[in-house]
Amino acid sequence: MWIQLRVGVAKYGAIAGINLQNQLAYVWDTISRSTHIVVFMFIFTQLWGAVYRLQDVTEINGLTLANTIWYFLMAEVLQIGQIRHDTQITEEIKSGAIAYTLGKPYNYLGYHFSNGMGETIVKMGLLWLLGSPIALAFAGWPDVRLAHLPAIAVVYLLAIVVNFCIISLIGLMAFLIEDTFSLRLIYQKIVFILGGLLIPLDFLPEGLQRVAGLLPFQLTTYAPARLFVGFEWPMFWRQLQMGAIWLAILLGLLSLQYRWAARRLAINGG
Amino acid sequence: MDKTLSRQRAGTLLAHVRVELAFIRGLVGINLASAMEYRATFLTQIFGMFLNNGIYFVFWYLFFDRFGTVQGYNLEEVYLLFAIVAMGFGLAYTLAGNTGWRLATIIAQGRLDYYLALPRNLLAHVLFSHMVVSAIGDFFFGIMAFFFAGRFHPAEIVLFVVSCVLSGCVIVGYGLIVGSAAFFFGGAQQMSMQAANALVSFALYPNTLFSGFARLLLYTLIPAIFIGGIPVDIVLGRDGRLLAGLAAAAAISLGMGTWLFYAGLRRYESGSDINVM
Repeated sequence: MWIQLRVGVAKYGAIAGINLQNQLAYVWDTISRSTHIVVFMFIFTQLWGAVYRLQDVTEINGLTLANTIWYFLMAEVLQIGQIRHDTQITEEIKSGAIAYTLGKPYNYLGYHFSNGMGETIVKMGLLWLLGSPIALAFAGWPDVRLAHLPAIAVVYLLAIVVNFCIISLIGLMAFLIEDTFSLRLIYQKIVFILGGLLIPLDFLPEGLQRVAGLLPFQLTTYAPARLFVGFEWPMFWRQLQMGAIWLAILLGLLSLQYRWAARRLAINGG
Repeated sequence: MDKTLSRQRAGTLLAHVRVELAFIRGLVGINLASAMEYRATFLTQIFGMFLNNGIYFVFWYLFFDRFGTVQGYNLEEVYLLFAIVAMGFGLAYTLAGNTGWRLATIIAQGRLDYYLALPRNLLAHVLFSHMVVSAIGDFFFGIMAFFFAGRFHPAEIVLFVVSCVLSGCVIVGYGLIVGSAAFFFGGAQQMSMQAANALVSFALYPNTLFSGFARLLLYTLIPAIFIGGIPVDIVLGRDGRLLAGLAAAAAISLGMGTWLFYAGLRRYESGSDINVM
């Protein structure tokens, strides 16, 4: 079993490594695709700076202006840098290339995850590099303790995995409907509000806050961003618990959908 | 004699404009028919864009509900801003979809050859040969947003429509400028895409948020104020002078775009893609 695990880690690690190298080879291309975070961050600093100034407060629902700005940087990095393999899955299904991909000696979704991680690491790193000077200039250094960073990293990784599961569910829907673009658009838009991308959940009306807190969307954006700017152990454990529950549900759904999809696949010739 | 000659010239010019307009109408008609061939995808894209804009509506509703007025803007004014930007964007990209990164791609891949080989006005042919289907969703969303803004005085309606058309012209002109950059810098697709995104991102927020150098930037390099903030002021203040200013900005934007396109065309190298049949 250990040998199998080691082989698996080496195999998927190699897939991630190849895409990582690929992204680094075209790093200028990735940088040019990531520059819009500078625009977003600048707009957010102006908007939320005006809100705090006009409200004449230093804190809104536990978040200072500096907290809010760093929250948005974290949330934007997570959303823009996430793995987006649904278009790839859709294309493979539409073109029939999935018949060849499934025949290769790796788990189909495992491949997409490790391949996506190779890209996401570079992308998120660059987004941080480009966005943090704006946050630093307007908000100063974030109030984060080193001791909390490993716990934040766990929730960060959880966010990536939960998002991956939802995007995979959307991608595999291509077996049923030809174009899954609109489904992803709907998902992304839900994350805008219920995931806390455009406005931290703390600023929403209480009822909506409670509903959003129970859904998986906040795990992909709000949870890591909020813990980053104001870490509390009870909040960490609560998010971890929610993450475990939703991960179990999403992985179960994904496994059922994958088996159903594989049964629907018809391969002719060779 | 002179009078007859100038009348003849004017007649020829008018006939030429009529022919070009008929050609553009034909192109737009074909684009629409071709997009509607895949009915489900056509409707999904329009609905998707409607939903996309709708979420921002929800955001601003929640935002103003919680924080009230921000820098002179309240909910109705933001709805009006959305109506103008969405409709201007919708008009621009529904009719003239080949601007910005699409134009940069055509240039970089040497696909201008196809248009160069045909006996038509090159720029008009390129610009109006593509329709961004989702932009139709923007157009209709703009109409809906205008109803939410609640500006129903006939003068406001007229100013709204004219401002949207001018806003669309600024968007097309800007798309031409950043797309034509490909003549000079080669692979300028990413740059033109980022520039177009920045234009819309800035335009969708109250311009009163920005001051100093950022504001100067929004009047020049990223002229977002001309597609959002100024049209809003025109409708709210029923300001004819500001409207004339916006018309001038639209003319400058289109003029600069056209000039840059033809200046860049002299540097264009064929992609050996001449395939007229």
